[in-house]
Amino acid sequence: MSLEFEPRLTRDWDDPSVATLAGYVAKGGYGALRAALEMSGADLIQVVKDSGLRGRGGAGFPTGMKWSFVPQDTGKPTYVTANYDESEPGTCNNRELAERDPHRLIEGTAIAAKAIECHLAFIYVRGEYLWQGMVMQRALEEAYAGGYLGKGIAGSDYDLEIVLHRGAGAYICGEETALLNSLEGLRGEPRLRPPFPAVEGLYASPTVINNVETLMNVPDIVARGADWFRSQGTEKSPGTKMFTISGKVERPGNYEIPMGTPFRVLLEDLGGGVLHGRALKAFTPGGSSTPLLTAASIDVSLDYESIAEAGSLLGTGAVMVMDDTDCVVEAAERMVRFYAHESCGKCTPCREGSWWATRVLGRLEDGLGRERDIPLMHDMGTNFLFRAFCALADGTAAVITSSLEHFGDEYEEHVRLGRCPLRAPDPQAGTDPDALAMAPPSEVAS
Amino acid sequence: MTVFVDAVRREAGSIIARYPQGRERSAIMPLLYLAQSEEGRVTREGLQEVAGLLGLKTAEVEAVATFYSMYRLRPTGEHLVNVCTNLACLLRGGKDVYEAAHRAAVVAHGEELSEDGLLSVHEEECLGVCEFAPAVQIDFANHDNVTPERMGELIAELRAGRTPEPSRGPAMRSFRHASRVLAGLERPEEVGA
Amino acid sequence: MRGGVTLTVDGKEVTVPKGTLIIRAAEQLGIEIPRFCDHPLLEPAGACRQCYVQIEGQPKLATSCTVGVAPGMVVKTQNTDETVAQAQEANLEFLLLNHPLDCPICDRGGECPLQDQTIAYGPGDTRFIEAKRTFVKPIPLSPLVNLDRERCILCARCTRFCDEISGDRFIELFARGAGERVSIAAGEDFESPFSGNTVQICPVGALTAEPYRFVARPFDLSTVDSICPHCSAGCNVKVDVRRGEVVRQLARSDYDVNDAWLCDKGRFAFRFPDAPERLTTPLIRDRGLEPASFGEVLTQVAGRAAGARVAILTGGRLMDEDYYALSKLARTVLRTNDLDHRRSPGAGEAERYVAAQPLSVSYKDVERAKVILVAGLDAEQEIPILHLRLRKAAARGARLWVLHPRRTRLHDVAAHILTSPEEAARLLAGEGPTGNAAFDEAVGALRDAGEDAVVIAGERLAGPAGGAEEAMALAFDAGARFTYVTRRANDRGALRAGVHPRLLPGGRTSADGLDEVEAVWGPVMDREPGRDARAILQACADGDIDVLFLVGVDPLRDAPDAALALRALQNVPYTVVQSLELGSLEPFASAFLPAAAFLEKTGHVTDWEGRGQMLRPVRGAPGLSRPDWEIAAGLALACGGDLGFETLEQLHEEMARLLGPRPITLALPPREDPASASASASASEGLALVTYPLLVDEGRLSERADELKAALEPDAFVEVHPEDAAALGIADAGRARVRTEAGEAELPLRVTPHIAPGTVFVPFNQPGLAANTLLSGTFDARATLEAVAGTAAEAVGDEVSA
Repeated sequence: MSLEFEPRLTRDWDDPSVATLAGYVAKGGYGALRAALEMSGADLIQVVKDSGLRGRGGAGFPTGMKWSFVPQDTGKPTYVTANYDESEPGTCNNRELAERDPHRLIEGTAIAAKAIECHLAFIYVRGEYLWQGMVMQRALEEAYAGGYLGKGIAGSDYDLEIVLHRGAGAYICGEETALLNSLEGLRGEPRLRPPFPAVEGLYASPTVINNVETLMNVPDIVARGADWFRSQGTEKSPGTKMFTISGKVERPGNYEIPMGTPFRVLLEDLGGGVLHGRALKAFTPGGSSTPLLTAASIDVSLDYESIAEAGSLLGTGAVMVMDDTDCVVEAAERMVRFYAHESCGKCTPCREGSWWATRVLGRLEDGLGRERDIPLMHDMGTNFLFRAFCALADGTAAVITSSLEHFGDEYEEHVRLGRCPLRAPDPQAGTDPDALAMAPPSEVAS
Repeated sequence: MTVFVDAVRREAGSIIARYPQGRERSAIMPLLYLAQSEEGRVTREGLQEVAGLLGLKTAEVEAVATFYSMYRLRPTGEHLVNVCTNLACLLRGGKDVYEAAHRAAVVAHGEELSEDGLLSVHEEECLGVCEFAPAVQIDFANHDNVTPERMGELIAELRAGRTPEPSRGPAMRSFRHASRVLAGLERPEEVGA
Repeated sequence: MRGGVTLTVDGKEVTVPKGTLIIRAAEQLGIEIPRFCDHPLLEPAGACRQCYVQIEGQPKLATSCTVGVAPGMVVKTQNTDETVAQAQEANLEFLLLNHPLDCPICDRGGECPLQDQTIAYGPGDTRFIEAKRTFVKPIPLSPLVNLDRERCILCARCTRFCDEISGDRFIELFARGAGERVSIAAGEDFESPFSGNTVQICPVGALTAEPYRFVARPFDLSTVDSICPHCSAGCNVKVDVRRGEVVRQLARSDYDVNDAWLCDKGRFAFRFPDAPERLTTPLIRDRGLEPASFGEVLTQVAGRAAGARVAILTGGRLMDEDYYALSKLARTVLRTNDLDHRRSPGAGEAERYVAAQPLSVSYKDVERAKVILVAGLDAEQEIPILHLRLRKAAARGARLWVLHPRRTRLHDVAAHILTSPEEAARLLAGEGPTGNAAFDEAVGALRDAGEDAVVIAGERLAGPAGGAEEAMALAFDAGARFTYVTRRANDRGALRAGVHPRLLPGGRTSADGLDEVEAVWGPVMDREPGRDARAILQACADGDIDVLFLVGVDPLRDAPDAALALRALQNVPYTVVQSLELGSLEPFASAFLPAAAFLEKTGHVTDWEGRGQMLRPVRGAPGLSRPDWEIAAGLALACGGDLGFETLEQLHEEMARLLGPRPITLALPPREDPASASASASASEGLALVTYPLLVDEGRLSERADELKAALEPDAFVEVHPEDAAALGIADAGRARVRTEAGEAELPLRVTPHIAPGTVFVPFNQPGLAANTLLSGTFDARATLEAVAGTAAEAVGDEVSA
C-alpha cells in the first residue's frame, strides 16, 4: 500500500532555514497572521470551526468551538496558552514540529490570540525540552525584532506579547487546568471544572489552551480556507495528523499522514515494519494512556472514530510497537509506574491505586504473583476508570484493563511459572513478596 | 539574602518582570531554576529567598519546588545524567543503559549521586525523543540511541572533564549551567545555538 | 422555596437553594454520603473521592461534594445504587492501603471519621499485602500540633484551611503522587494562631494536639456546650471534661458566630480554672488571712461599707448576671457610682451606643459587607474570630481598610493606613478631604456602600487622643453601620449592665432613662457620674476611698499604671477580693470571697456583637465558691438592702426589663475641617508609645497553657519605624531603652516599616516586660528611645510577625 498525500505540517522539513524568521517569511510565513489581523475575531473563529480542526492533544475537541466559548464582555483580559508540555510516553511530534518550524507555532498562537482579543499569550514548554525551549526563545526574539510580536504586530495596530514559560518535569501539566496552575506558580494539580478555562482560566480570566500541533494547523487554515483543510482526512476528523511510531519498528519517527490512514501503512510503509521482521504483538495507538491494541487491529484506520470502534483512543497519535519477544506484564508495570510517578497526588484512586498497581504488577513480573492478583488487577482497573479527579488515572486503567483483556494468558503464565515466561529464569529470585515492596518515598526536603 | 545577591538579584527582577503586574507568583518556577543554577540544587536558603522575593511563605515555595521533578533538593552532582526507561526506551534496551550508567558512574544501589559527587544518575520518565530510543540527557542535553557501551563512554568523557557533544543543540557545561538556561537567562546564541 | 431547585435523592424529593451541592442537599433529607475532604466552610476539592453518587443520565459517577444541584436531577447514593456503594468501598480500600493500623494508640480513635466510615461503608478485609509507606512519626509542627504523615489521607482540609480561612500558609502539600505529604518549611513552626482548627477538621489522626496527646478516649469524656471565656468573639465551644478536669476545648459550629473555628488561645488555654492556687473558701484577715464562713465575711464587709466611701473595680470576664447584680448593688445599696470594668478612659458616646444597641453590627453583617473600615483594632491579636470573618468578607469581595498604628495580619486583604493615635483621631474627625489619600478613598467607599458598609472601632481609639466617637460620627454620616468593640469576653456585658461610672443599664444615664431604671430599682441615690477606674485608683492612693472591691480583676497586672495600682492598694484601708484566687493581691486583701469559675455556673456572656449567649455549668462550683451575682446578692442582704432576686429566673426577668435595645440620642462630636484640626503630636516630646495585649501573653487566663505559650508567645520587644530609628541613631542596635514618664525598660528592638512613623509599640504583657510599668493610666504615653550600647541588630528575614 502506498500513501499519496500533500504534507502540510512537515512540508518544509527538508529546509532547515525555515527555523529562522527569514526562511519562514520567504516561504510565505506570517502571511496568515497578516490576513488574520484584517479579520474580525468572529470570522476567525468561524473559519476554524468550518475547517473541523480538532484538538491534537488527545481529547479531539473542536478547536473553533473552544475559541467561541471565550466571553468577550467580562472586563478581564483574555489569554492564549500554547500547550507545549508534550509528555505522554511515546509522543514527540510537537517537539519535532516546533523545533523545525518554531515560527509556525508563534504564528498560530498569534492568530488564536487575535481571534479572542488576547494581548498576552504564553507558550508553556516542558522543561526537559531544554534545546527546544532555546529554539523557541530564539524564534520569539526574532519575531519581536521583526515586528511580528510586541506593539503593533505585522504593521497593524494590534499589540501582542508572547512569554515563554518552562515547565519543570510534571506530566500532569499537560492537563490544561494543571498547566494553568503551573503557569500561575502553583503546584500542577488539575482544577475543578466548571468553571472551564474558557470562562475562568489563567489568572481567573478567559483562556484558550491549545496543543502545539493544533495551533500549527491554524495558519494554513486561515491562509487557504476551511475547504482546503478538509480536502484531506475524514469527514469527522479532517486534516492530517502527526503520528510518532517508536519501539520495535525499523524506522521509528514522526510521520504526518491524513486522518483515516490505515495503521498498516504507518507501521509497514513508513515505519519499515516490525524490527528485525518479528511479529507484531501489541501497540498503543495514541500514547501509553490509550488501551493497547493487538495485531488483530493492524488494519484499523487512524482517526478518532475508527480507533474508538477498535476499543482504544487516538490520543496523541503515539504508536509504541511491541513484538512477540516483549513481555506485556513488564510493559504494563513500566507504564503504570509512570502514572504512579506522575500522579499529582490530589485524589485517592490515582495516588494510592497507581502506587498499589505498580507493586502488584512488579510482583507479577518478578514471579511473585498469586492467582488472586489477576482478579485484583481487574478490580483496580475498574476502580480507577472514570473515578479519579482527572483523566490521568483513566490512562492507568487503560493499561491495566487492556493488557489483561488481550493478554490475560500471559499474566496467568507469570503466576503459574513463578517467573516471566519471556525472561530467562533467575536462580536468585526469592519468594517473599514483602522483600520486593519498594522503599518508602524518600524525604525530598533537606 | 545569600543566593540572590547583586547581579543575580537583578536577574531575578527581570524574571519577575516577565509576568503581568500582580501575577508575580508566576515567576516562581524560573526563580527556582535560577536558585538551582546558583547553588547546584535548590537549598533551604534558595526556597526562603524565592519566598521573600515573591512575598510568599517558604512552605508555599517548597510545595511547588517538590512537585516538579527537575528541581533537585537533594545534593546533586556537577552533571545530571537522566536515562529514560519508559516503554519506548525500555523496548529498545533503556534499562540496560540505565544500569550501565549506574555502574560507570559508580553509584551505590538505591542512590543517585556517584561516590565522588561528580555525577547524579536518575532514572527518567519519557523524554519525548522516542524515535531515538534509548534516550539519555546529560544536563538536559540529548544523546540519542545510546547503548550501554556508549553510556560508558559518555560518562568517561564527563569524568575527563569534557562535555560530550549532544545529538542536537549545544552541550551544557554543567547541571547548574542547564538550570540557568532553563531560567531563560542565557541567550540562545551565547550557548551556541 | 422561591428560586429553589428541586431534585430527588434516593427517590426522595428535596428543594434547595440554587448553587447547593448535592452532598448538602442529601443532608437536608438526612441522607449521609461518606466524605473526607468535604467541609462546608471550605471550597469544594473533590480530592478524596469518597462521596460518589450516580446522577441519572451521566456516564460516570460524580462526587457529590463538587457538583451543584440542577432542576429535576435524579441522584442515587450508596443506599440505592450498587455501583456507588462498590465505588465507595473501593475508595476506602485505596485510602486504607497506606493507613497504619495504630488506632489503639491514636488520639483520634473512637471519634475518627475514617474509622467510622470504614466500619459503615468499607471493606471488611484487605487485599493489600505489600509494605505500607512509612514516615517518621509523629513530627511536631509546633509545640501545639503534631503531624503523623502515615495516618494522613491527603484530603487537604488542613492546607486548604490555611489557604482559604486563616490566610497563613505555614503548611502545604509537598511532593506529589504517593510521596505527597503535608509538610512545613524546614526550620519553621506552624505559628498560626488558628493552627488548632486543622487538628479539629483532620478526618484522621494525622494532626493531633499536644495538650490532648494520650490524655483521654472519647468515651471517657463528658462534654458540655459552652462559650469561650477569653476574648469577646463569643466562640461556641465544646468543653471536654475528664473526672472534673477540663482536658480539651473544641470549636462548636455556629454559623452566626464563630462558623466552625476557634483560635488557639480559646482552644488550648483551658487550664486556668484548675490552677493549684485556686481558693474555694472565704478568707478574712485577722492575724493573717484565715478561713471563715461566707456569713462571717459578708457581715464584716457590710460593716466596713456602711456609710463608707466604696468603689468597685471588676474585670471583663464575669457574666451578664454578675455585672447586673454588681451594678445594682453599687447604685442601690452601696450608693456609689464609683465602679468600672474598664481599664482606661473608654470611648464616650460610642460606649453608650453599643450599650444601648446590641447587634448594631453582627458577624453576618461583617461577612456580607461590601466596605469595611477597621479602626484602632488588631483583629487577629484581639478578637481572632472577627479577624477570620473580616478575611471571609474580603474573600467574598469586600474592600477593607485598616486604620491602625501598626500593620495587622489583614495586610494581604486590607489596605493599611498606619498612623499614630492622634493622627487617626484627626482623620476620623475630618469633614472633607483629609490629605490622606488612602483614608479619603476609604471614606468615599463607605459613602458609596452606605448600608453595606461597616465601621468597626477598637480600643486603640479609646485613648486620650480619642477617635471612637469620631469614627461613629463618620459612620453615621456615611450611612454605614457602626460598632465599638472591646477585647475581653464580657466587656460588652459589663457595659450593658452599667458597670461604668456614667452608664446605667442599657446605656441609660441620669439624664436619659433614669426613670426607667428607678421604676425597676427604686431610687438611685447618687446622680452624679462616678470615678472611672483610673480615678478610683487615684482616690484610693489619695486616701479618698474606704473600701475597694476587686471583682475578678488584678489592678497590679491589668491597670495601665502599675505604680498607681500599687499605691492604691497600699493606701486603701479595706480591700475585698472576689475571685478564683488571690495571687499578687494576697498582701493587700482584707477579705476574700471565692467566686465560681465560668465553667461552674449558669449565665450569659455578651460578645462584641452584643449577642448574649448562654453558658451551662460544666461542673459544680468547688468548695464554698459561688457565682458573683449570688455573692453580690448576699452582700446586699448583709448590708440591710435587697437586690430583689434570689434565683436566676428572677434575675433574668428583671434584666429583661432594662437590657433590651433602646433608641438613644447621641451627642456626636462635630465634624471638623481637617485643615483647621492640628495634630498635637508634633508639639510633644518623643514618640507616641502604643501598647495592647497580644493574643498569647502573660495574662491570667493563659496560665498553665504551656504548649500554647511555647508555640505562640513572643517575648517582649519594642517596635519602631526605620525613619525614627535612623533619626535616633538606633537603627543598628539590637536592644533599645524605652523611657516614659512612668518608667523605663530595655527591650529587643525591631525596626520595621510596618509601623507608623513617630510611633513606638510595645506589647502589653509579654515575658520580659509588664508594659503597665511604662504607663500613666492610659494605654499610650510619650516615649523616648535610645540604643543599648554594645548590642547589634540581628540580620532578620523580611517579615517579623508579632
